[in-house]
Amino acid sequence: MLELERVGKTYPNGVHALDAVSFSVGPGEIVAIVGGSGCGKSTLLRAISGLDTPSQGRVLLDGEPVTQPHEKIGIIFQEPRLLPWLTVAGNVGFGLEDRPRAERNERVATALARVGLTDKAGMWPRELSGGQAQRVAIARALVPRPGVLLLDEPFSALDAFTRVDLQDHLLDLWADLRPTLILVTHDVDEAVVLADRIMVMRPRPGRIFDEIAAELPRPRDRQSAAFDFVKRRVLAALDRSLQRAKTVDDTETKADAGAALWW
Amino acid sequence: MSVAAEPAAEQQRKSSLARWGRPALGLLLPLGLALGWELAVRTGLSNGRLVPPPSRIYAELDELARSGELLRHVTATLLRVAAGFGLGTVIGTLLGAIAGYSTLVRRLIDPSLQGMRAVPSIAWIPLFILWLGIFETSKVALIAVGVFFPIYLGVMGAVMSVDRKIVEVGRIFRLPGTQMVRRILLPAVLPSYVIALRSGLGLGWMFVIAAEFMGASEGLGYLLIDGQQLGKPAEIVAAILAFAVLGKITDWIVVGITAPFLRWEDRFNTQAGES
Repeated sequence: MLELERVGKTYPNGVHALDAVSFSVGPGEIVAIVGGSGCGKSTLLRAISGLDTPSQGRVLLDGEPVTQPHEKIGIIFQEPRLLPWLTVAGNVGFGLEDRPRAERNERVATALARVGLTDKAGMWPRELSGGQAQRVAIARALVPRPGVLLLDEPFSALDAFTRVDLQDHLLDLWADLRPTLILVTHDVDEAVVLADRIMVMRPRPGRIFDEIAAELPRPRDRQSAAFDFVKRRVLAALDRSLQRAKTVDDTETKADAGAALWW
Repeated sequence: MSVAAEPAAEQQRKSSLARWGRPALGLLLPLGLALGWELAVRTGLSNGRLVPPPSRIYAELDELARSGELLRHVTATLLRVAAGFGLGTVIGTLLGAIAGYSTLVRRLIDPSLQGMRAVPSIAWIPLFILWLGIFETSKVALIAVGVFFPIYLGVMGAVMSVDRKIVEVGRIFRLPGTQMVRRILLPAVLPSYVIALRSGLGLGWMFVIAAEFMGASEGLGYLLIDGQQLGKPAEIVAAILAFAVLGKITDWIVVGITAPFLRWEDRFNTQAGES
């Protein structure tokens, strides 16, 4: 159980990036955080990961405050951030240095097989494509078996095909150990495909604006009407969070979606 | 069958051309010039007294080698460079790493060191002779000063420019300080460190001459001065050639020792070379 208690962050230069964000995420739950740029999504994720400490409030994992990187919390960044001087296998096993060699090799091999990169084990990161490198990064984060996995716009640098492929792949991997996933994204499709709950954030200062449940059966069909319904709700909330012209009224969306479901 | 064999054979021919042909290209100019000068002297176009032809330089080198003089001078110079390079490398690496890592230390020591760097290192010679005497110590100290600065600067710059994103990977896996250094910082600075070592070594060779000019009874620098005073240009050129060969060999050694650790580097010419 991951809990955030009124987490706020003011940077030394006076920028108020995050204001009293509170929510909790149950074990195995997938939460997506969406919002316009500069709404503090990444700041929030860095605070949860322990890379940054919040200025106000606290993050609790199973009741214990998180003040620095925690062994139960893994993170996947926007860029793969592989260490260029280690082979693919070396990168995947990076977090297992303290384990006996046999166990490490076995877990690395399993993880590589799981992301379909067994034949790339001896390669250097520079020899991989963007999608392959991100898969290695996913394997590296999952190998220590974290209870919570944070993802900071993990697929935003990839092309549309690879992105869809990796989203499905991520869900597949998630099903093995069912860690809590917290995903920051600006891709609404991605949020709806992956998440059980979608938090919409609003900028200046960053705070939770709305929370939308996406209780669709898995695997999710990106073309279904129910999918479209959730997606529209998220888009409408995003629009309102940015205080744009209220083109989509919530009641209207609901009626619209109801009609779509009836169809 | 023959269709398949032919490109393979051609490829092999091409790769052997690449291995031997390309370095040979660089020899064309010096060999051509040497041959031209040799011919000019042989045909009597020049007497070759101030600019000795290759045959005379070779004879000089041969004589020096036979008498054991060459070995004695080369050994003396090599030992000085080795001692000075070792000393300068150790101090430069330590101070550079600390100054790169800690902002406080950098603010404390860097301005003074930069000020000292602005002093032409040859200017230290009189002081070193007064302090350390005219024998080996002052020579090694001078070489060490020359080697120190490029290594200090290189290491400090490399440590300061280690990618924050890569360091965060180490933090996420909760690496303790020593492991952070060994598994993240060291490999990250290694490519720049090798470059710093090589430029330090180059300066070491430069300063060994200055050191040997200030009074030595052996060493390649002594050979240079001796050739000048006795009017033997062939001896001077022979010493210069020895410097060139030794400098290149020691540089190869540094590159050769570090190459296995840098195979991962993503350089445009390594990929071209591998494929």
